[in-house]
Amino acid sequence: MDYVSPFDERSRVTEPLAPRPADLSGARVALLDITKRRGDEFLDRIEELLVSRGAVTFRVVKEIFSKPAGPEIVRQIADRGDLAVEGLAD
Amino acid sequence: MTALTHVPEFSLSSVAGGSLALADLHASGPALLVFVSEECPTSTLTLRRLSPTIPDLARAGVRVAAVFEDPLETAARVARRTGFTGDVLSEPAPYDVSRAYSLQSLPTAVLIDRDGREVDRVVGWDAAGLRTLLSVPVTEEPPLRKPGCAAKNTYDAESLRALGGAGGFDELEEMFERGWTDGLPVIPPTGERVEAMLGGRDGSRLVGEMAPAMARVTLERVAACSVLAGCRPEYFPVVVAAVEAVLEPAFNVGGQAVTTQPCGQVLVVNGPVRDTIGLNGSVGVLGPGWRPNMTIGRAVRLVISLTGGGFPGRLDRSTLGNPGKISMCLAEDEEVSPFEPLHVDRGFPLPSSVVTVIGADAPLSISDHRSTGPLELARVLGEAAAATWSPNWWPLGGVSLFVICPEHARSFAEWGWSKERVREEIFSSVSRSARELRWGETTPLVNAAPDDQPIRKWDSPDEIMIVVAGGEAGRYSAVFGPCLGMNTEPISKEVQWTT
Repeated sequence: MDYVSPFDERSRVTEPLAPRPADLSGARVALLDITKRRGDEFLDRIEELLVSRGAVTFRVVKEIFSKPAGPEIVRQIADRGDLAVEGLAD
Repeated sequence: MTALTHVPEFSLSSVAGGSLALADLHASGPALLVFVSEECPTSTLTLRRLSPTIPDLARAGVRVAAVFEDPLETAARVARRTGFTGDVLSEPAPYDVSRAYSLQSLPTAVLIDRDGREVDRVVGWDAAGLRTLLSVPVTEEPPLRKPGCAAKNTYDAESLRALGGAGGFDELEEMFERGWTDGLPVIPPTGERVEAMLGGRDGSRLVGEMAPAMARVTLERVAACSVLAGCRPEYFPVVVAAVEAVLEPAFNVGGQAVTTQPCGQVLVVNGPVRDTIGLNGSVGVLGPGWRPNMTIGRAVRLVISLTGGGFPGRLDRSTLGNPGKISMCLAEDEEVSPFEPLHVDRGFPLPSSVVTVIGADAPLSISDHRSTGPLELARVLGEAAAATWSPNWWPLGGVSLFVICPEHARSFAEWGWSKERVREEIFSSVSRSARELRWGETTPLVNAAPDDQPIRKWDSPDEIMIVVAGGEAGRYSAVFGPCLGMNTEPISKEVQWTT
């Protein structure tokens, strides 16, 4: 029996993960603050740890946690960073 | 040592497509055949319990195949249900393969070496027997032994004929197997039914893209969900308008669909379409009983949870869920309401038919049979809403939907209040000092305010939405609190009959 699927049946391409860096010294790390409460505190601590390992960090802030990051946020991270850390949920 | 004997050859249909022969199964190592059938509980128990051993057996070079004395569709369904990941074959009546293997009872597990000879067999569920036969760990959960059922090759002709009608392809079960459901039975979306739902509209029309799956929501997929939900074709324009509203970026359906909050979607329908399709705005309006209400709300939820990918327990992480995630669609009872209807509040002409979607928590019922004046009644409504989301989270930062029952609405009107006045008085009747609210988890505004500063539950009366609906008798209204942090706005769309 043939049925009409409620799903979008397009096949999805899974992008391979980028290669992991051997060390963090000199790496530019984007810290994405999604604006969840106390996410900034979490990122502050991550930042300390990254900087102590020689990374250079910068912050990117989402408009609101409940919406996907817009293309301009993604572009900022891709253009300015080698790595990204996202503070997710609370 | 007893010489091993060669087992009978066969070739049977596989659920993976095509057919598999015995020779394929033992081509590169031993094979384990497990003869089973759907209606035998010991068979399904055995499949469920053997499944975890399949990776161990594969490492040992043993290929496992279930041979069902059932049609292919049934075999596929039972294999999925039991998590059986080996080969799945179907043996049709009159079960000659089973007969050739001299089966008496199901399940029977037959181990065959790579030369096609029987090593040994275990009949029924027998954990110790299977452990010895297979040399892999087998569960030690009781029951350790369970006798099986008669193999179908042993049935007489009359029993076989009687069985002919049972155990075949079941369309409704198939929908569950595919996961095309919210957990309740659905109407299978055959091409014919979906065509009827579309009513000549272009099924390829893109309504929008829906998070979290970022799925293309075409009219055809909305129609498929409407069929699944049980809608009649005349409901379809209402479903489409609601889906268009849900897809507006300001509604943020993606956030609502995945949040841990108990966020559902409430649909309020206004205008002549209510009568055209028989939507209920009266007795029991927030409960079951009316097909258009139940199925339109459900269709929209299926678009969100199936097409859009916000399925509970998968990408929908709602801690508790909420009945509004099943279906929540009500008509405003404009005829008994003393107030302007919602769609007119929202700028639509009175004769238009409009759907308004609101991202909302579950409804909270508010009983009031004793208020002697409008201020008192407004305060009862407001104070009830004060507890929504969290008792000390002020202001809410979202829209609350009040469903005012006809008796309460009539009282307000008799006391000379307009809808605008009701909204303003609900807003101003609820106030706490910052000091009273400064405990537990509260808002930045409360934390920063001087102790005696009065704080309101809402930022403005505009965040109080009112519709009149419910039975003629009874003084029970309700409030739907908002989903917070979603930045969601109520969205209204006019119902288009011809798109």
